[in-house]
Amino acid sequence: MTDGNWITLISTGATILFMLGVPIFLVIGFWCMGASLVIGLIFDNIGVALSDIFTDGFALLAMPLFILTGDLINRSGIAKRLAEFAYACLGWMRGGLAMASLAACGLFAAISGSNSATTATIGGMMHPEMVKGGYDERFAAATAASGGTVGIIIPPSIIFIVYGFLLNLPISDLFIGGILPGALMVLGMMVACWIICFINGWGELIRLSVNRVTKTAVGAWLGFFAIGLVLWGIYTGQFSPTEAAGVTVGFCIIVGVLSLPAYKLFGYDRLSKNREIEEKGFGEMLVVEGFRIVEIPGIVMRSAKITGVLAPLIAISVVMQQILSGLGAGEIIREFVTGMGGYYAVLFTSMAIVFIAGMVLESLPNTIILAPILAPIAHSIGVDPVHFAVIFLVGGSIGFITPPYGLNLYVASGVTGVPYFKLLKYTVPYLIALLSVWMMIALIPEISTILLPNR
Amino acid sequence: MQSLIEGTWAIIAALSSGDSWMISDALRNPAAYLLGIPVVICGGYLFLLLLKQIPFMDKYFERTVLVGLYLTIATVIFVEVIRRFVFQVQAPWSTTLPPYLFLIMTWVACAANVKTRSHLSFSEFRNFMPRKMQFGCLCLDTILWLTFSVVVVTTTFRQAANSASNFQILLGTDNVLQWWFYIFVPISWLLLSARVLENFSEDIKKLKSGAPLLEQSAIGSE
Repeated sequence: MTDGNWITLISTGATILFMLGVPIFLVIGFWCMGASLVIGLIFDNIGVALSDIFTDGFALLAMPLFILTGDLINRSGIAKRLAEFAYACLGWMRGGLAMASLAACGLFAAISGSNSATTATIGGMMHPEMVKGGYDERFAAATAASGGTVGIIIPPSIIFIVYGFLLNLPISDLFIGGILPGALMVLGMMVACWIICFINGWGELIRLSVNRVTKTAVGAWLGFFAIGLVLWGIYTGQFSPTEAAGVTVGFCIIVGVLSLPAYKLFGYDRLSKNREIEEKGFGEMLVVEGFRIVEIPGIVMRSAKITGVLAPLIAISVVMQQILSGLGAGEIIREFVTGMGGYYAVLFTSMAIVFIAGMVLESLPNTIILAPILAPIAHSIGVDPVHFAVIFLVGGSIGFITPPYGLNLYVASGVTGVPYFKLLKYTVPYLIALLSVWMMIALIPEISTILLPNR
Repeated sequence: MQSLIEGTWAIIAALSSGDSWMISDALRNPAAYLLGIPVVICGGYLFLLLLKQIPFMDKYFERTVLVGLYLTIATVIFVEVIRRFVFQVQAPWSTTLPPYLFLIMTWVACAANVKTRSHLSFSEFRNFMPRKMQFGCLCLDTILWLTFSVVVVTTTFRQAANSASNFQILLGTDNVLQWWFYIFVPISWLLLSARVLENFSEDIKKLKSGAPLLEQSAIGSE
């Protein structure tokens, strides 16, 4: 048998394991072992990669810290305040709560840099509220999964850091380039959400009140401060993204621990946090519910377990990328794309490749495998590097909700308890919206480049 | 076969000598994988026995390690950024130590997820399978985890030995060796193997008692 036949056989075996419900980490791990045997790569490569991906640099460390930030923001009540603000602004429309979930994802993404962390946090918080509010639980889970796709587009973004590192591009430029496309993605999904909710009559309407909007904006000030802190620190170069994540964790712990006594000092107890906004005064809105010191281990443990799912997957995906390189996958793709011809042909072929790869691989290995191949081709035909980075990563982000390997779908299923298959159907409207926005971003480079100061 | 047996003895002899260069050299032999099989199964079983002997440890071991490491990482980064802003000083190891702690945290967290069966998987078909097939799938999981553990324990132990034999020092420090951290990767995988064996024993009990074999577990749940 030829090597190609062996690889096909191994890939078929891996697919069978996947369908049998074997953990995805093991499926990829055994694919790597089998493929290593075929191409004569020693297994030591696996062991070294499973260690060195974590120790070779400081950037990946931003991931667990942003996950912890997400959990701390959630537990301290800051995320709820951001969601309340979003709901106060959008609740007057049909499907307001679902749209507020999407907006909350956008706001949360400006603090956290990960899609799955955004889905896990906002999904865990908003899904029960949406179900209580009369939304279909599958639609609510799909909303959380889809909303999370902006996590890596709205800065800070872990994947932008990796992309910038690989292609030697300024990370701050990439972050700025992601702002408008991220906002457009949220807007596109909101339109899809409104249409679905309007057709199904989901969600209760609340009156648009300036008092409520102002009060919730005041209530969300700590969230806005955290967003400002992260963005200011990164854009001004005061600290690296990992340090920004560490600073935000410290900020959230201090705020969370100090808020509870302050909250009590104002004469409120934590049970009162569920009261209506109208019943609360501005003073009460200024402080969040916070948490006790003894609650911190529980919060950290949750983040650690999410990290324990994602980090091994990233590590083993890097091994997979090395093997795919060894198999010459890069050369095949390069020949295929360059053979397509002009500007739009190359652009859309690249997008199709990113989209298909997003269905079967996680965004980090996709970026590591495809970005160094596709980006130079795109640059050579005149596509702006930041524009292409945004196109590439928006496509990668859409891959988070495309089966079979749509990580956000699994995360949403995990945190909401809605089976994977059942939420698939409800992601289709969001997928259409995201694909439309993606096309718009590809055709109008200014969306990605207009905010760049040096253009 | 002869060379494998000789290689195994060479590894055992090198390990008993305690010399890192000898260990690293001996582990290059393919017999390391052969030796990895009993190490993973017996090591995992002994780890499990230890955990079961001390119920407090069984319940809180992973939690203590993970919370400790996570907060240490965050504290080091937070404090050092503040020190840089306020005092214009920063410890040179503040950017090199956290990634090594992250390494250990990742694999202990991986083991913790094995314990709660919360690794990502596509379990739709499995949920609809007859009971015996479900048990077969759980056996398959066990075999795959243990087999992969053999590969990871062997290769990461080789890496730790190699690092030790080269006296690789953690950047930013004078005398902290990298292998002190690397060695926790195979140890974490032994912990993972212990949890795999524990799960398998629970599966057999459930099969006999007629209890449901599969349970939905949310990511991040304890």
